[in-house]
Amino acid sequence: MLASLGAELLKLRKRPSTWVLGSIWLAVTILLNYTLAYALVSSVPPPTVPEGTPKAQKEQIRAQQEELREQQLEFLYPEYLVSYLTPGFPNLGAPIALILGALAMGSEYGWATFKTILTQRPGRYALFFGKLLALGILLALLVVVTFAAGAVSGYVIASLEGTPVGLPAAGELVRALGAGGLILAIWAALGVLLATLLRSTALSIGLGLVYSFVLETIIFNLPIQSKGFQDAREFFPGQNSNFLADSFSEQSQGGFVPPEPTVDAPQAALVLLAYTAVFILLAAFVFHRRDVT
Amino acid sequence: MTESEQRHPPLVETSGLGKRYGSISAVRDLNISVRRGEVYGFLGPNGAGKTTTLRMLLGLIKPSSGTAKVLGEEPGSPLSLQGVGALVESPAFYPYLSGRDNLRLMADYCGAPHQRVDEVLEQVELAGRARDKFKKYSLGMKQRLGVAAALLKDPELLILDEPTNGLDPKGMADMRALIRRVGHGERTVLLSSHLLGEVEQVCDRVGVIHKGELLTEGTVDELRGGGGILVKVEPVEEARKIAAGLAWVGGAKIEDGMLVLEVDPEKAAEINARLVSEGLRVSELRPVEISLEDAFLEFTRGETV
Repeated sequence: MLASLGAELLKLRKRPSTWVLGSIWLAVTILLNYTLAYALVSSVPPPTVPEGTPKAQKEQIRAQQEELREQQLEFLYPEYLVSYLTPGFPNLGAPIALILGALAMGSEYGWATFKTILTQRPGRYALFFGKLLALGILLALLVVVTFAAGAVSGYVIASLEGTPVGLPAAGELVRALGAGGLILAIWAALGVLLATLLRSTALSIGLGLVYSFVLETIIFNLPIQSKGFQDAREFFPGQNSNFLADSFSEQSQGGFVPPEPTVDAPQAALVLLAYTAVFILLAAFVFHRRDVT
Repeated sequence: MTESEQRHPPLVETSGLGKRYGSISAVRDLNISVRRGEVYGFLGPNGAGKTTTLRMLLGLIKPSSGTAKVLGEEPGSPLSLQGVGALVESPAFYPYLSGRDNLRLMADYCGAPHQRVDEVLEQVELAGRARDKFKKYSLGMKQRLGVAAALLKDPELLILDEPTNGLDPKGMADMRALIRRVGHGERTVLLSSHLLGEVEQVCDRVGVIHKGELLTEGTVDELRGGGGILVKVEPVEEARKIAAGLAWVGGAKIEDGMLVLEVDPEKAAEINARLVSEGLRVSELRPVEISLEDAFLEFTRGETV
């Protein structure tokens, strides 16, 4: 499997789509979360105070505005890195992970390269798990680089504002890295499974995105009140990705109310872990059994 | 099994090998045997079942019936694939990688040292274009890269599936020369083709497959020969009568003024002696030779390749 891992890492490293997707993920994360957010907060015009407002009241309004601005800026500082970035993982990270997973497996079918590789003797399981391990390393790097880029952006903003720089607690950061990795892993695993079942890249990406963006939303909005249905909703991958990611928001900001039904972070992580394992094992089984035509 | 086969068991042996796709039999009851050191041609028209058979021998698809042994092991097992290099159908590589990087990957998968990459690139005369991306290669270069990948393990057995498919005449000639070069010495080559000329030029023995069934297996000469002697003799009618009276002559007829005898070509001297002793003037004796194409048409009852 280690020999396969080396080959798979080389493929990922040299593949343009890896860099394109990674760059999109990073660029959008930093642009939306930091650059745009900072520009918006910084450019809020001073409130219009009616003529004749007493000076003391004017001062009070200005102080309130400044306080609000400070509160908004606070989330951009490295200290709030975890609570600020982690909730974004299911929104943009999940589709990108799904595409990466589908590409890793589906392209091999598209280019018919499985026959070339398998006749070189790696063995199907070694090839499959080498591929997944390489994908896992890529996703882990993406998570780390995302938080690192967020920390650097936050540091720059804090410096511009002349605010002392704090850092999130190490334990919290590790938990966020794990949660981010798990959220990306389950969607990448879904991409791998779909590509294996469908032996195609485009269809598997299309179906995966339709599921993540449309199907779960439709299911959640069905006007069914039965307890069984309500309970079942707690076991959908998209919802659990959100529950896990939002658990970091809640912790840092206090007062944040996640959507009902609530599932605590450990349960959400367990559900995601179970889905990831099932997706991977099913894909491995199918890949091992099927003819390579 | 002959004594020679016991000493040198076949590198590839199938017994009743079959593959079904639903109600369609792609390959039926196939029994072939590829001996060490030979270039074995697997000849058949498109859709005859050649690629399906090769895929079964490489473990890419599972047989529906029968068994196969490749290097004495189960097809597709690591022990079997350790000594096998293969190019199945069109060469498939990563378009965004260079030829060298593609081979480096394959070397990683098979555990070959990276220095072997440069050796095989030299062998297939691609060293000068090794840095170019695969997607920029011509078809001929892609085929050669496929052969290079198959050679990475320095395999005992090389399986090449229609390696000249789609190539121009020069590309075909180059590829055949390459096959002869890499098949030189101890290496065994199993070459599938639908081109009779190619098999005739390159192969020592041939298995003819049609509609999923092996029709015959033998050397090119055996397939082409089929027995018989052509005799130029005067007077020819008298010669025909004499020959027809011989117990060991299967048949005698006159075609284009020549006497055609259904007899083992080894009997040519005896035929000559007998006709001369009867006072006939024999000016030419030669074995009946039909082209491999004619033989193939005969085997497949007129269906073209």
